[in-house]
Amino acid sequence: MASVWETIFFAIILLLGCGGLVLLFGSFVVPEWRVNYEFIQHPCKVIDKRIVDRPSEDGPLYRPEIKIEYDVDGVIYSDWHYDIHKTYSSSRQSALAVLDQFSVFEKSKSNLYYCWYNPADPHEAVLVRGSRWWFWLVFTIPISFIVIGVGGLIYSFLHWGKSAERRSAMTRRVQENELFAVVGRGNRQYPSVPDGLNVTNSPGVRLRFRLPTTRSTGWAMFGAIAFCLVWNTCVSIALILAVYKIMEGKPDWLFILLILPFLAFGVIVIVHLVRKFHFATGVGPTFLEISDHPLKPGESYRIFLSQSGQLNMHSLRVSLVCEEQATYRQGTNTRTEIQEVYRQELYSNENFTIKRIQPFEAEFDLHAPDGIMHSFISAHNQINWKLIVDGSMEQCPDFHRAFTVIVRPISGEMPP
Amino acid sequence: MSTEPAVIIRLEDIDLVYRPGQQLSGEYWIESLPPDQLKAIEASVLWYTEGKGDEDLAIHEFWRRDIDDDFEIDPTQPERFSTTLPNSPLSYEGQIVKIRWCVRVRVFLHRGKEIVGEKHFHLDDIHPPRIPST
Repeated sequence: MASVWETIFFAIILLLGCGGLVLLFGSFVVPEWRVNYEFIQHPCKVIDKRIVDRPSEDGPLYRPEIKIEYDVDGVIYSDWHYDIHKTYSSSRQSALAVLDQFSVFEKSKSNLYYCWYNPADPHEAVLVRGSRWWFWLVFTIPISFIVIGVGGLIYSFLHWGKSAERRSAMTRRVQENELFAVVGRGNRQYPSVPDGLNVTNSPGVRLRFRLPTTRSTGWAMFGAIAFCLVWNTCVSIALILAVYKIMEGKPDWLFILLILPFLAFGVIVIVHLVRKFHFATGVGPTFLEISDHPLKPGESYRIFLSQSGQLNMHSLRVSLVCEEQATYRQGTNTRTEIQEVYRQELYSNENFTIKRIQPFEAEFDLHAPDGIMHSFISAHNQINWKLIVDGSMEQCPDFHRAFTVIVRPISGEMPP
Repeated sequence: MSTEPAVIIRLEDIDLVYRPGQQLSGEYWIESLPPDQLKAIEASVLWYTEGKGDEDLAIHEFWRRDIDDDFEIDPTQPERFSTTLPNSPLSYEGQIVKIRWCVRVRVFLHRGKEIVGEKHFHLDDIHPPRIPST
């Protein structure tokens, strides 16, 4: 249930956001709008100019000021002005650059400038107009406060006084409406069982479906290449610097000594990457095809295995495996634990060679035992069934490739 | 001496094992509850997870009776409920994931107080209930 304190917290965030927005509008947007649309353009004389400074924690701040004189309806106004916000900056040079744009009035030159004055109070005037683009970025702060506050209050309102069961019932109703709109009744036949559509979207060559692998090695290889490149580029730069100093006749032996372990690690990373690449390209693709899907407890299926590559195999095994997966929060971290709870070996072959021109092929039975639990998925918990291919080779690390299958409950076949 | 109110839930099947698609019927009532303290009653047929992961919960059937809508509620009188159970998820006793089914009755009283009663049952297509490695 949404607590009172949560609601108060989000209300305060919203108030802070609204207050900040009003303050920014009042302090910056309204004055700039008035200067741009209400102030009247008028010629003026520059009488004097100066830089005003004020101390701050990060050193002195500066702003340019120009004393101007202008005549409105026969009344002469004279004061120090520049911009409407009276903005200070840390750069004295930029303040000086502003002053250099204006020269003091000389009768012989008749050098006049335009100023803009407030018709309601002609004492108020500026020498520059327009707005700074970067200033609008400041608005993201109160706006983000407002978004968080409004979002939190909507959340609190929707959850106020509602039990976990009532919230779940509301969520289910929304999901049912969405399901009706998208896929209709079929997918609700087995709640919390994955539909397995991605498993059956690829037809097989020998059997009905070709199973997809659960994860590709491509991203792992990409990560390893990226790490190897970054590491060895840094080491190379350090090495070039060290060699340059040696060539100059001023070798920095401490620096060279420090580089050596980094260099050694870089070499290890390259060797590891080469082995990984050799392994990834040497062990060809593994294909598994199945005669029917999803699996049902107590029923039998044919499995076709195809393994390519130039491999001297110690062993090749295919197993049906069930894993429980639990995701939980520990402090601010989210952890996932996987526990294998069932393994049934379906196929095994030992001490044989696979030639590159002829992939190894085998066909065997899979009997889904009676009484096994069906596949299950919820927000933090899963029960996953997989066919796992384990290969063990001479002079190469073992490889494991997993293919997800869905097990459905045996009962509850409803007419469509 | 006053007795604390308690939720009583009674299911029609005594062994508490149901098959997918089977009718789950029963009744609930609240003992020792003065009617003027009652605000609302929610009854749910639901499953939830236990184990290492954070709890997931999903409602199969949900009924709510507000005292504002129905002045005739007498919480001490049995209220019947009935629903057809779904095909899944089935009850499960895993190592780090467990799935439990129950009928839960939540009684909302004045001043934010709540009383909750639960009656667990098994939804399964085999008996005794399944374990991970059969």
